[in-house]
Amino acid sequence: MPHSTLITLLAVLSLQPTQVSPPAKNEGTEQCLACHGDKSLSVTLPSGEARSLFVDQERFAGSVHGGKLGCVDCHADVQELPHKSRPFRTRREFTIGYYEQCKRCHFSNYSKTLDGVHYASLARGDRNAPVCVDCHGAHDVTSPAKPRSRISQTCATCHEGVSRTYASSVHGRALFEEKNADVPTCTDCHRSHDIAGPRNTDWRLRSPELCASCHTNEQLMAPYGLSTKVMQTYLADFHGMTASLHRSEGKPAEPQVLPALCVDCHGVHDIAKAKGPTSAVIKANLLKTCQKCHAGASQNFSDAWLSHYEPSLKRTPMIFIVKIGYAFLIPFMIGGLALQILLHLWRVVVNR
Amino acid sequence: MSRYVVRFSVRQRIEHVSVMILFLTLSVTGLPQKFFDSWWATPVILVLGGIDQVRWIHHAAGLTFTLLIVVHLTTAIGLVVTGRSPLSLVPTRQDFRDAIQTLKYYLGMTDEQARFDRFDYRQKFEYWGLVLGAVVVIVTGLVLYFPLLATRYLPGEIVPAAKLAHGNEGLMAFLVVIIWHIYNAHLSPDVFPFDTSIFTGKISRKRMAHEHPLEYARLQEAEQSREP
Repeated sequence: MPHSTLITLLAVLSLQPTQVSPPAKNEGTEQCLACHGDKSLSVTLPSGEARSLFVDQERFAGSVHGGKLGCVDCHADVQELPHKSRPFRTRREFTIGYYEQCKRCHFSNYSKTLDGVHYASLARGDRNAPVCVDCHGAHDVTSPAKPRSRISQTCATCHEGVSRTYASSVHGRALFEEKNADVPTCTDCHRSHDIAGPRNTDWRLRSPELCASCHTNEQLMAPYGLSTKVMQTYLADFHGMTASLHRSEGKPAEPQVLPALCVDCHGVHDIAKAKGPTSAVIKANLLKTCQKCHAGASQNFSDAWLSHYEPSLKRTPMIFIVKIGYAFLIPFMIGGLALQILLHLWRVVVNR
Repeated sequence: MSRYVVRFSVRQRIEHVSVMILFLTLSVTGLPQKFFDSWWATPVILVLGGIDQVRWIHHAAGLTFTLLIVVHLTTAIGLVVTGRSPLSLVPTRQDFRDAIQTLKYYLGMTDEQARFDRFDYRQKFEYWGLVLGAVVVIVTGLVLYFPLLATRYLPGEIVPAAKLAHGNEGLMAFLVVIIWHIYNAHLSPDVFPFDTSIFTGKISRKRMAHEHPLEYARLQEAEQSREP
Protein backbone atom coordinates (compact mmCIF):
# COMPACT_ATOMS: atom_id res chain seq x y z
CA MET A 1 0.00 0.00 0.00
CA PRO A 2 1.51 3.31 -1.01
CA HIS A 3 2.52 5.72 1.62
CA SER A 4 -0.18 8.22 0.66
CA THR A 5 -2.89 5.82 1.76
CA LEU A 6 -1.62 5.91 5.25
CA ILE A 7 -4.36 7.91 6.73
CA THR A 8 -4.10 9.23 10.15
CA LEU A 9 -7.38 9.69 11.76
CA LEU A 10 -7.51 12.02 14.60
CA ALA A 11 -9.79 14.48 16.09
CA VAL A 12 -7.92 16.94 18.09
CA LEU A 13 -9.09 19.10 20.82
CA SER A 14 -7.67 21.75 22.92
CA LEU A 15 -8.97 21.95 26.40
CA GLN A 16 -6.56 24.38 27.88
CA PRO A 17 -8.53 27.57 27.32
CA THR A 18 -11.78 26.36 28.81
CA GLN A 19 -11.11 23.95 31.59
CA VAL A 20 -8.88 21.58 33.40
CA SER A 21 -8.17 18.46 31.44
CA PRO A 22 -9.72 15.39 32.95
CA PRO A 23 -6.93 12.93 33.53
CA ALA A 24 -6.22 9.91 31.38
CA LYS A 25 -9.00 10.51 28.86
CA ASN A 26 -7.38 13.44 27.22
CA GLU A 27 -4.00 12.02 27.41
CA GLY A 28 -2.19 12.52 24.20
CA THR A 29 -4.43 15.29 22.92
CA GLU A 30 -1.55 17.66 22.82
CA GLN A 31 0.49 15.04 21.15
CA CYS A 32 -2.21 14.71 18.48
CA LEU A 33 -2.35 18.42 17.93
CA ALA A 34 1.34 18.58 17.40
CA CYS A 35 0.64 17.24 13.93
CA HIS A 36 -3.12 17.80 13.43
CA GLY A 37 -2.96 21.42 14.44
CA ASP A 38 -1.22 22.05 11.18
CA LYS A 39 -3.64 23.48 8.62
CA SER A 40 -1.72 22.08 5.70
CA LEU A 41 -1.74 18.49 6.93
CA SER A 42 -3.61 16.34 4.42
CA VAL A 43 -3.53 13.06 2.55
CA THR A 44 -4.55 12.12 -0.95
CA LEU A 45 -6.86 9.14 -1.08
CA PRO A 46 -6.70 6.46 -3.79
CA SER A 47 -9.74 8.12 -5.31
CA GLY A 48 -7.67 11.23 -5.83
CA GLU A 49 -9.61 13.20 -3.25
CA ALA A 50 -7.61 15.21 -0.78
CA ARG A 51 -8.51 14.75 2.84
CA SER A 52 -7.46 17.47 5.21
CA LEU A 53 -6.23 16.14 8.51
CA PHE A 54 -6.34 19.50 10.21
CA VAL A 55 -8.48 19.79 13.33
CA ASP A 56 -9.64 23.26 14.31
CA GLN A 57 -9.31 23.16 18.07
CA GLU A 58 -11.39 26.27 18.61
CA ARG A 59 -14.34 24.84 16.75
CA PHE A 60 -14.10 21.64 18.68
CA ALA A 61 -13.97 23.55 21.95
CA GLY A 62 -17.17 25.30 20.96
CA SER A 63 -18.93 22.03 20.15
CA VAL A 64 -21.09 20.11 22.59
CA HIS A 65 -18.20 17.72 23.13
CA GLY A 66 -15.67 20.44 23.78
CA GLY A 67 -14.17 19.98 27.22
CA LYS A 68 -15.81 16.61 27.60
CA LEU A 69 -14.09 14.31 25.18
CA GLY A 70 -10.55 13.81 24.06
CA CYS A 71 -9.37 12.71 20.61
CA VAL A 72 -9.00 9.03 21.41
CA ASP A 73 -12.47 8.82 22.96
CA CYS A 74 -13.80 8.71 19.43
CA HIS A 75 -10.64 7.69 17.62
CA ALA A 76 -10.13 4.83 20.01
CA ASP A 77 -8.39 2.66 17.45
CA VAL A 78 -5.51 5.06 17.09
CA GLN A 79 -2.94 3.64 19.42
CA GLU A 80 0.44 4.05 17.83
CA LEU A 81 2.70 6.40 16.00
CA PRO A 82 3.01 6.46 13.11
CA HIS A 83 -0.66 5.41 12.64
CA LYS A 84 -1.55 2.15 11.03
CA SER A 85 -2.65 2.14 7.43
CA ARG A 86 -6.44 2.39 6.92
CA PRO A 87 -8.19 0.71 4.02
CA PHE A 88 -10.35 3.68 2.96
CA ARG A 89 -10.23 4.58 -0.71
CA THR A 90 -12.60 7.55 -0.69
CA ARG A 91 -13.69 10.26 1.73
CA ARG A 92 -17.14 8.66 1.90
CA GLU A 93 -15.72 5.27 2.78
CA PHE A 94 -13.87 6.91 5.59
CA THR A 95 -17.02 8.61 6.93
CA ILE A 96 -19.09 5.46 6.74
CA GLY A 97 -16.35 3.38 8.23
CA TYR A 98 -16.02 5.73 11.13
CA TYR A 99 -19.49 7.00 12.01
CA GLU A 100 -20.35 4.15 14.34
CA GLN A 101 -17.99 5.65 16.91
CA CYS A 102 -20.99 7.73 18.05
CA LYS A 103 -22.86 4.68 19.33
CA ARG A 104 -20.37 4.16 22.09
CA CYS A 105 -22.11 6.97 23.95
CA HIS A 106 -25.31 7.59 21.94
CA PHE A 107 -26.44 4.02 21.75
CA SER A 108 -30.16 4.64 21.97
CA ASN A 109 -30.24 7.13 19.11
CA TYR A 110 -27.88 4.98 17.12
CA SER A 111 -30.10 1.94 17.43
CA LYS A 112 -33.11 4.04 16.44
CA THR A 113 -31.40 4.87 13.17
CA LEU A 114 -31.34 1.15 12.37
CA ASP A 115 -35.13 1.39 11.96
CA GLY A 116 -34.93 4.47 9.78
CA VAL A 117 -35.14 4.95 6.03
CA HIS A 118 -31.63 6.36 5.83
CA TYR A 119 -30.07 3.29 7.31
CA ALA A 120 -32.22 1.14 5.03
CA SER A 121 -30.79 3.02 2.03
CA LEU A 122 -27.28 2.59 3.36
CA ALA A 123 -27.88 -1.12 3.89
CA ARG A 124 -29.10 -1.38 0.31
CA GLY A 125 -25.76 0.03 -0.79
CA ASP A 126 -26.47 3.74 -1.19
CA ARG A 127 -23.22 5.22 0.07
CA ASN A 128 -24.74 8.70 0.04
CA ALA A 129 -27.37 7.83 2.65
CA PRO A 130 -26.70 10.11 5.61
CA VAL A 131 -25.04 8.84 8.75
CA CYS A 132 -24.71 10.59 12.13
CA VAL A 133 -22.00 13.06 11.16
CA ASP A 134 -23.74 14.13 7.95
CA CYS A 135 -26.52 15.78 9.94
CA HIS A 136 -24.76 16.51 13.22
CA GLY A 137 -21.23 17.31 12.05
CA ALA A 138 -18.11 15.68 13.43
CA HIS A 139 -15.73 17.90 15.36
CA ASP A 140 -18.21 20.76 15.35
CA VAL A 141 -21.33 19.04 16.74
CA THR A 142 -23.71 21.59 18.20
CA SER A 143 -27.32 21.34 19.33
CA PRO A 144 -29.24 20.45 16.17
CA ALA A 145 -32.31 22.45 17.13
CA LYS A 146 -30.71 25.79 17.93
CA PRO A 147 -32.29 27.68 16.37
CA ARG A 148 -35.28 25.49 15.56
CA SER A 149 -35.17 26.39 11.88
CA ARG A 150 -31.78 24.68 11.72
CA ILE A 151 -33.53 21.30 11.75
CA SER A 152 -35.26 21.96 8.47
CA GLN A 153 -32.15 23.52 7.01
CA THR A 154 -30.20 20.38 7.84
CA CYS A 155 -32.70 18.22 5.95
CA ALA A 156 -32.64 20.71 3.08
CA THR A 157 -29.00 19.79 2.45
CA CYS A 158 -30.31 16.77 0.56
CA HIS A 159 -34.09 17.25 0.40
CA GLU A 160 -33.92 20.54 -1.36
CA GLY A 161 -37.17 20.56 -3.33
CA VAL A 162 -39.42 19.44 -0.54
CA SER A 163 -37.73 21.86 1.83
CA ARG A 164 -38.49 24.73 -0.49
CA THR A 165 -42.14 23.65 -0.62
CA TYR A 166 -42.22 23.41 3.14
CA ALA A 167 -40.66 26.84 3.52
CA SER A 168 -43.55 28.41 1.64
CA SER A 169 -46.24 26.47 3.57
CA VAL A 170 -48.13 27.88 6.52
CA HIS A 171 -45.84 25.99 8.86
CA GLY A 172 -42.59 26.82 7.07
CA ARG A 173 -43.34 30.51 6.77
CA ALA A 174 -44.10 30.76 10.46
CA LEU A 175 -40.89 28.95 11.27
CA PHE A 176 -38.57 30.93 9.03
CA GLU A 177 -40.23 34.33 8.89
CA GLU A 178 -41.74 34.62 12.37
CA LYS A 179 -39.32 32.35 14.26
CA ASN A 180 -42.45 30.68 15.55
CA ALA A 181 -41.63 27.67 17.75
CA ASP A 182 -45.19 26.25 17.66
CA VAL A 183 -45.04 24.97 14.12
CA PRO A 184 -43.66 21.58 13.18
CA THR A 185 -40.28 21.23 11.50
CA CYS A 186 -39.34 18.18 9.43
CA THR A 187 -38.50 15.98 12.40
CA ASP A 188 -41.74 16.66 14.28
CA CYS A 189 -43.62 14.64 11.68
CA HIS A 190 -40.91 12.43 10.21
CA ARG A 191 -38.99 11.88 13.46
CA SER A 192 -35.24 12.29 13.54
CA HIS A 193 -33.35 9.05 14.07
CA ASP A 194 -35.96 6.44 13.22
CA ILE A 195 -37.36 8.27 10.22
CA ALA A 196 -40.15 6.23 8.71
CA GLY A 197 -40.69 5.96 5.00
CA PRO A 198 -43.60 8.29 4.27
CA ARG A 199 -44.75 6.16 1.34
CA ASN A 200 -45.35 3.30 3.69
CA THR A 201 -49.12 2.66 4.05
CA ASP A 202 -48.88 2.06 7.73
CA TRP A 203 -47.15 5.39 8.25
CA ARG A 204 -49.73 7.13 6.11
CA LEU A 205 -52.58 5.65 8.11
CA ARG A 206 -50.97 6.95 11.27
CA SER A 207 -50.43 10.42 9.84
CA PRO A 208 -53.73 11.90 11.16
CA GLU A 209 -52.39 11.33 14.66
CA LEU A 210 -49.37 13.45 13.81
CA CYS A 211 -51.58 16.34 12.79
CA ALA A 212 -53.85 15.75 15.77
CA SER A 213 -50.99 15.86 18.23
CA CYS A 214 -50.89 19.63 17.70
CA HIS A 215 -54.30 20.36 16.21
CA THR A 216 -56.26 18.92 19.15
CA ASN A 217 -54.17 20.81 21.68
CA GLU A 218 -56.31 23.72 22.80
CA GLN A 219 -53.49 25.65 24.36
CA LEU A 220 -51.47 25.44 21.18
CA MET A 221 -54.35 26.27 18.83
CA ALA A 222 -55.94 29.10 20.81
CA PRO A 223 -53.57 31.88 19.71
CA TYR A 224 -54.37 31.09 16.08
CA GLY A 225 -58.12 30.73 16.55
CA LEU A 226 -58.01 27.17 15.15
CA SER A 227 -60.64 24.58 16.03
CA THR A 228 -59.46 21.61 18.08
CA LYS A 229 -62.40 19.50 16.95
CA VAL A 230 -60.82 18.73 13.61
CA MET A 231 -59.89 15.18 14.55
CA GLN A 232 -63.18 14.37 16.21
CA THR A 233 -65.18 15.64 13.23
CA TYR A 234 -62.88 13.84 10.81
CA LEU A 235 -63.31 10.56 12.66
CA ALA A 236 -67.07 10.98 12.70
CA ASP A 237 -67.11 11.06 8.92
CA PHE A 238 -66.60 8.25 6.41
CA HIS A 239 -62.97 9.03 5.69
CA GLY A 240 -61.87 9.16 9.30
CA MET A 241 -63.88 6.15 10.37
CA THR A 242 -62.55 4.04 7.51
CA ALA A 243 -58.98 5.16 8.12
CA SER A 244 -59.17 4.36 11.80
CA LEU A 245 -60.64 0.92 11.10
CA HIS A 246 -58.08 0.16 8.42
CA ARG A 247 -55.48 0.87 11.04
CA SER A 248 -57.09 -1.45 13.58
CA GLU A 249 -57.14 -4.18 10.97
CA GLY A 250 -53.35 -4.13 11.11
CA LYS A 251 -53.05 -5.28 7.52
CA PRO A 252 -52.73 -1.98 5.70
CA ALA A 253 -55.14 -1.56 2.86
CA GLU A 254 -53.91 -1.16 -0.68
CA PRO A 255 -52.78 2.44 -1.16
CA GLN A 256 -55.33 2.99 -3.91
CA VAL A 257 -58.24 2.24 -1.59
CA LEU A 258 -56.95 4.28 1.33
CA PRO A 259 -59.55 6.77 2.52
CA ALA A 260 -58.72 10.46 2.48
CA LEU A 261 -56.35 11.41 5.28
CA CYS A 262 -55.65 14.94 6.52
CA VAL A 263 -52.85 15.36 4.02
CA ASP A 264 -54.92 14.25 1.03
CA CYS A 265 -57.11 17.33 1.28
CA HIS A 266 -54.86 19.80 3.06
CA GLY A 267 -51.61 18.92 1.35
CA VAL A 268 -48.41 17.62 2.86
CA HIS A 269 -45.44 19.95 2.64
CA ASP A 270 -47.50 22.62 0.91
CA ILE A 271 -50.19 22.93 3.60
CA ALA A 272 -51.73 26.38 3.36
CA LYS A 273 -53.88 28.30 5.80
CA ALA A 274 -57.28 26.53 5.56
CA LYS A 275 -59.06 29.81 4.93
CA GLY A 276 -56.37 31.38 2.76
CA PRO A 277 -56.79 31.94 -0.98
CA THR A 278 -54.43 29.11 -1.97
CA SER A 279 -56.03 26.58 0.38
CA ALA A 280 -57.10 23.31 -1.24
CA VAL A 281 -60.02 23.09 1.16
CA ILE A 282 -61.49 26.54 0.83
CA LYS A 283 -64.93 26.45 -0.76
CA ALA A 284 -63.73 27.71 -4.15
CA ASN A 285 -61.14 24.93 -4.41
CA LEU A 286 -62.84 22.16 -2.44
CA LEU A 287 -64.67 20.51 -5.32
CA LYS A 288 -61.42 20.13 -7.22
CA THR A 289 -59.89 18.53 -4.16
CA CYS A 290 -62.83 16.09 -3.85
CA GLN A 291 -62.52 15.24 -7.52
CA LYS A 292 -58.99 13.96 -6.99
CA CYS A 293 -60.67 10.79 -5.71
CA HIS A 294 -64.37 11.24 -6.58
CA ALA A 295 -64.19 11.67 -10.32
CA GLY A 296 -67.32 13.27 -11.73
CA ALA A 297 -68.39 14.91 -8.48
CA SER A 298 -70.81 17.80 -9.05
CA GLN A 299 -70.76 21.13 -7.22
CA ASN A 300 -73.23 19.93 -4.56
CA PHE A 301 -71.07 16.94 -3.72
CA SER A 302 -68.44 18.90 -1.85
CA ASP A 303 -71.12 20.25 0.48
CA ALA A 304 -71.56 16.71 1.76
CA TRP A 305 -68.40 17.32 3.72
CA LEU A 306 -69.14 19.66 6.61
CA SER A 307 -65.64 21.17 6.71
CA HIS A 308 -65.03 19.97 10.26
CA TYR A 309 -68.08 21.86 11.55
CA GLU A 310 -70.43 20.11 13.91
CA PRO A 311 -74.05 20.08 12.75
CA SER A 312 -75.93 23.17 13.85
CA LEU A 313 -79.40 24.54 13.14
CA LYS A 314 -77.95 27.54 11.38
CA ARG A 315 -75.30 25.90 9.23
CA THR A 316 -76.83 22.50 8.51
CA PRO A 317 -80.53 22.59 9.39
CA MET A 318 -81.37 19.29 7.70
CA ILE A 319 -78.86 17.32 9.76
CA PHE A 320 -79.82 19.15 12.89
CA ILE A 321 -83.51 18.32 12.46
CA VAL A 322 -82.77 14.64 11.78
CA LYS A 323 -80.59 14.55 14.87
CA ILE A 324 -83.14 16.16 17.15
CA GLY A 325 -85.97 14.15 15.59
CA TYR A 326 -84.40 10.81 16.40
CA ALA A 327 -83.24 12.01 19.80
CA PHE A 328 -86.93 12.26 20.67
CA LEU A 329 -88.34 9.47 18.52
CA ILE A 330 -86.11 6.63 19.67
CA PRO A 331 -86.61 7.03 23.44
CA PHE A 332 -90.33 7.72 22.89
CA MET A 333 -90.80 4.62 20.76
CA ILE A 334 -88.68 2.23 22.79
CA GLY A 335 -89.92 3.62 26.11
CA GLY A 336 -93.54 3.30 25.00
CA LEU A 337 -93.12 -0.29 23.86
CA ALA A 338 -91.19 -1.26 26.97
CA LEU A 339 -93.90 0.30 29.11
CA GLN A 340 -96.54 -1.75 27.33
CA ILE A 341 -94.56 -4.93 27.91
CA LEU A 342 -94.19 -4.13 31.60
CA LEU A 343 -97.89 -3.36 31.93
CA HIS A 344 -98.74 -6.65 30.23
CA LEU A 345 -96.49 -8.59 32.56
CA TRP A 346 -97.89 -6.75 35.52
CA ARG A 347 -101.44 -7.70 34.51
CA VAL A 348 -100.48 -11.33 33.89
CA VAL A 349 -98.34 -11.86 36.97
CA VAL A 350 -99.60 -9.51 39.64
CA ASN A 351 -102.97 -8.14 38.75
CA ARG A 352 -104.74 -11.26 37.54
CA MET B 1 -111.97 -31.15 11.56
CA SER B 2 -108.31 -30.23 11.80
CA ARG B 3 -107.13 -28.69 15.03
CA TYR B 4 -105.15 -26.19 12.95
CA VAL B 5 -106.01 -23.42 10.55
CA VAL B 6 -103.67 -22.10 7.86
CA ARG B 7 -102.74 -18.55 8.83
CA PHE B 8 -99.82 -17.68 6.53
CA SER B 9 -99.22 -18.63 2.91
CA VAL B 10 -95.94 -20.22 1.82
CA ARG B 11 -94.96 -16.95 0.22
CA GLN B 12 -95.57 -15.01 3.43
CA ARG B 13 -93.48 -17.51 5.37
CA ILE B 14 -90.60 -17.20 2.90
CA GLU B 15 -90.83 -13.42 3.11
CA HIS B 16 -90.60 -13.58 6.89
CA VAL B 17 -87.58 -15.86 6.93
CA SER B 18 -85.87 -13.69 4.30
CA VAL B 19 -86.51 -10.50 6.24
CA MET B 20 -85.29 -12.20 9.39
CA ILE B 21 -81.99 -13.28 7.83
CA LEU B 22 -81.46 -9.97 6.04
CA PHE B 23 -82.37 -7.95 9.12
CA LEU B 24 -79.88 -9.87 11.22
CA THR B 25 -77.17 -9.49 8.59
CA LEU B 26 -77.83 -5.78 8.22
CA SER B 27 -77.84 -5.26 11.99
CA VAL B 28 -74.62 -7.17 12.55
CA THR B 29 -72.83 -5.33 9.75
CA GLY B 30 -74.54 -1.98 10.28
CA LEU B 31 -74.49 -1.32 14.02
CA PRO B 32 -70.69 -1.64 14.36
CA GLN B 33 -70.43 0.97 11.61
CA LYS B 34 -72.72 3.34 13.47
CA PHE B 35 -70.92 2.78 16.77
CA PHE B 36 -67.49 2.24 15.24
CA ASP B 37 -65.65 3.91 18.09
CA SER B 38 -67.17 1.86 20.90
CA TRP B 39 -65.23 -0.99 22.45
CA TRP B 40 -67.21 -3.81 20.85
CA ALA B 41 -67.40 -2.50 17.31
CA THR B 42 -63.84 -3.03 16.13
CA PRO B 43 -63.67 -6.71 17.21
CA VAL B 44 -66.96 -7.39 15.41
CA ILE B 45 -65.69 -5.71 12.25
CA LEU B 46 -62.40 -7.61 12.45
CA VAL B 47 -64.16 -10.95 12.90
CA LEU B 48 -66.27 -10.21 9.83
CA GLY B 49 -63.14 -9.60 7.75
CA GLY B 50 -62.50 -5.87 8.03
CA ILE B 51 -64.45 -2.75 7.23
CA ASP B 52 -64.28 -3.13 3.46
CA GLN B 53 -65.81 -6.60 3.63
CA VAL B 54 -68.38 -5.52 6.24
CA ARG B 55 -69.50 -2.75 3.88
CA TRP B 56 -69.67 -5.17 0.98
CA ILE B 57 -71.89 -7.56 2.95
CA HIS B 58 -74.05 -4.67 4.16
CA HIS B 59 -74.51 -3.39 0.61
CA ALA B 60 -75.35 -6.84 -0.76
CA ALA B 61 -77.86 -7.53 2.02
CA GLY B 62 -79.29 -4.03 1.66
CA LEU B 63 -79.86 -4.41 -2.06
CA THR B 64 -81.50 -7.81 -1.51
CA PHE B 65 -83.72 -6.30 1.17
CA THR B 66 -84.63 -3.48 -1.22
CA LEU B 67 -85.61 -6.01 -3.86
CA LEU B 68 -87.71 -7.93 -1.34
CA ILE B 69 -89.54 -4.81 -0.19
CA VAL B 70 -90.13 -3.59 -3.74
CA VAL B 71 -91.54 -6.96 -4.80
CA HIS B 72 -93.65 -7.17 -1.65
CA LEU B 73 -95.12 -3.70 -1.98
CA THR B 74 -95.80 -3.84 -5.72
CA THR B 75 -97.50 -7.21 -5.30
CA ALA B 76 -99.52 -5.95 -2.34
CA ILE B 77 -100.58 -2.80 -4.18
CA GLY B 78 -101.46 -4.87 -7.23
CA LEU B 79 -103.61 -7.23 -5.18
CA VAL B 80 -105.35 -4.39 -3.37
CA VAL B 81 -106.03 -2.45 -6.57
CA THR B 82 -107.50 -5.49 -8.32
CA GLY B 83 -109.57 -6.25 -5.25
CA ARG B 84 -108.00 -9.63 -4.65
CA SER B 85 -106.58 -8.81 -1.23
CA PRO B 86 -108.44 -8.40 2.02
CA LEU B 87 -107.60 -5.10 3.70
CA SER B 88 -106.87 -6.86 6.98
CA LEU B 89 -103.64 -4.89 7.63
CA VAL B 90 -105.09 -1.43 7.09
CA PRO B 91 -105.26 0.49 10.36
CA THR B 92 -108.79 1.47 11.35
CA ARG B 93 -110.40 3.50 14.08
CA GLN B 94 -111.18 0.20 15.79
CA ASP B 95 -107.44 -0.35 16.29
CA PHE B 96 -107.19 2.79 18.40
CA ARG B 97 -110.21 1.70 20.42
CA ASP B 98 -108.57 -1.73 20.86
CA ALA B 99 -105.33 -0.15 22.02
CA ILE B 100 -107.14 1.92 24.64
CA GLN B 101 -109.19 -1.08 25.71
CA THR B 102 -106.01 -3.17 26.08
CA LEU B 103 -104.33 -0.45 28.10
CA LYS B 104 -107.34 -0.29 30.40
CA TYR B 105 -107.22 -4.05 30.77
CA TYR B 106 -103.51 -3.97 31.64
CA LEU B 107 -104.16 -1.29 34.24
CA GLY B 108 -106.92 -3.36 35.75
CA MET B 109 -109.60 -0.82 34.90
CA THR B 110 -111.60 -3.46 33.07
CA ASP B 111 -111.63 -7.26 32.88
CA GLU B 112 -112.88 -7.29 29.35
CA GLN B 113 -110.17 -7.78 26.71
CA ALA B 114 -110.32 -6.26 23.25
CA ARG B 115 -111.49 -8.75 20.62
CA PHE B 116 -109.21 -8.74 17.61
CA ASP B 117 -109.72 -9.58 13.98
CA ARG B 118 -107.06 -11.17 11.71
CA PHE B 119 -104.37 -8.74 12.85
CA ASP B 120 -104.39 -6.94 16.18
CA TYR B 121 -103.20 -3.34 16.51
CA ARG B 122 -99.75 -4.44 17.69
CA GLN B 123 -99.23 -6.57 14.60
CA LYS B 124 -100.41 -3.76 12.32
CA PHE B 125 -98.09 -1.37 14.12
CA GLU B 126 -95.18 -3.69 13.58
CA TYR B 127 -95.99 -4.28 9.93
CA TRP B 128 -96.34 -0.60 9.09
CA GLY B 129 -93.36 0.25 11.26
CA LEU B 130 -91.31 -2.17 9.22
CA VAL B 131 -92.60 -0.84 5.89
CA LEU B 132 -92.04 2.81 6.79
CA GLY B 133 -88.67 2.04 8.40
CA ALA B 134 -87.69 0.07 5.31
CA VAL B 135 -88.54 3.00 3.05
CA VAL B 136 -86.38 5.30 5.21
CA VAL B 137 -83.36 2.98 5.32
CA ILE B 138 -83.64 2.11 1.63
CA VAL B 139 -83.85 5.71 0.45
CA THR B 140 -81.09 6.94 2.78
CA GLY B 141 -79.04 3.82 2.06
CA LEU B 142 -79.17 4.51 -1.66
CA VAL B 143 -78.08 8.10 -1.06
CA LEU B 144 -75.09 6.79 0.89
CA TYR B 145 -74.33 4.14 -1.70
CA PHE B 146 -74.51 6.55 -4.63
CA PRO B 147 -73.55 9.95 -3.21
CA LEU B 148 -72.30 11.27 -6.55
CA LEU B 149 -75.64 10.54 -8.18
CA ALA B 150 -77.67 11.84 -5.24
CA THR B 151 -75.84 15.16 -5.08
CA ARG B 152 -76.30 15.73 -8.78
CA TYR B 153 -79.93 16.53 -7.98
CA LEU B 154 -79.98 17.21 -4.24
CA PRO B 155 -77.99 19.50 -1.95
CA GLY B 156 -74.77 18.03 -0.52
CA GLU B 157 -76.11 18.16 3.00
CA ILE B 158 -78.39 15.26 2.05
CA VAL B 159 -75.45 12.84 2.41
CA PRO B 160 -74.53 13.44 6.07
CA ALA B 161 -78.24 13.84 6.88
CA ALA B 162 -78.93 10.48 5.24
CA LYS B 163 -76.07 8.92 7.16
CA LEU B 164 -77.51 10.13 10.45
CA ALA B 165 -81.06 9.06 9.55
CA HIS B 166 -79.92 5.67 8.23
CA GLY B 167 -78.03 4.81 11.41
CA ASN B 168 -80.73 6.06 13.74
CA GLU B 169 -83.55 4.37 11.84
CA GLY B 170 -81.56 1.15 11.80
CA LEU B 171 -80.88 1.41 15.51
CA MET B 172 -84.55 2.05 16.25
CA ALA B 173 -85.63 -0.90 14.10
CA PHE B 174 -83.09 -3.09 15.86
CA LEU B 175 -84.33 -2.03 19.30
CA VAL B 176 -87.98 -2.49 18.33
CA VAL B 177 -87.24 -5.98 17.09
CA ILE B 178 -85.16 -7.15 20.03
CA ILE B 179 -87.53 -5.64 22.59
CA TRP B 180 -91.01 -5.66 21.11
CA HIS B 181 -90.93 -8.40 18.51
CA ILE B 182 -88.93 -10.86 20.57
CA TYR B 183 -91.31 -10.25 23.46
CA ASN B 184 -94.42 -10.78 21.39
CA ALA B 185 -93.07 -13.79 19.49
CA HIS B 186 -91.15 -15.52 22.28
CA LEU B 187 -91.16 -14.11 25.78
CA SER B 188 -94.76 -13.03 26.27
CA PRO B 189 -96.57 -15.44 28.61
CA ASP B 190 -99.25 -15.78 25.89
CA VAL B 191 -96.87 -17.48 23.44
CA PHE B 192 -93.83 -18.52 25.48
CA PRO B 193 -91.50 -20.02 24.38
CA PHE B 194 -92.15 -19.67 20.68
CA ASP B 195 -94.98 -18.55 18.44
CA THR B 196 -94.36 -20.87 15.49
CA SER B 197 -97.19 -19.67 13.22
CA ILE B 198 -95.05 -17.62 10.87
CA PHE B 199 -92.71 -20.58 10.27
CA THR B 200 -95.24 -23.43 10.01
CA GLY B 201 -98.01 -21.26 8.64
CA LYS B 202 -100.43 -22.93 11.09
CA ILE B 203 -102.32 -21.64 14.11
CA SER B 204 -104.32 -23.83 16.45
CA ARG B 205 -108.05 -23.24 16.61
CA LYS B 206 -107.69 -22.75 20.37
CA ARG B 207 -105.16 -19.94 19.98
CA MET B 208 -107.06 -18.43 17.09
CA ALA B 209 -110.25 -18.31 19.13
CA HIS B 210 -108.31 -16.62 21.91
CA GLU B 211 -106.17 -14.18 19.90
CA HIS B 212 -108.27 -13.49 16.83
CA PRO B 213 -111.89 -14.13 17.96
CA LEU B 214 -113.55 -11.99 15.26
CA GLU B 215 -111.68 -13.78 12.47
CA TYR B 216 -112.37 -17.12 14.10
CA ALA B 217 -116.07 -16.37 14.36
CA ARG B 218 -116.17 -15.58 10.64
CA LEU B 219 -114.31 -18.80 9.91
CA GLN B 220 -116.80 -20.89 11.92
CA GLU B 221 -119.72 -19.20 10.20
CA ALA B 222 -118.24 -19.99 6.79
CA GLU B 223 -117.59 -23.60 7.77
CA GLN B 224 -121.14 -24.06 9.04
CA SER B 225 -122.71 -22.56 5.92
CA ARG B 226 -120.65 -24.95 3.80
CA GLU B 227 -121.87 -27.97 5.73
CA PRO B 228 -125.04 -29.40 4.31
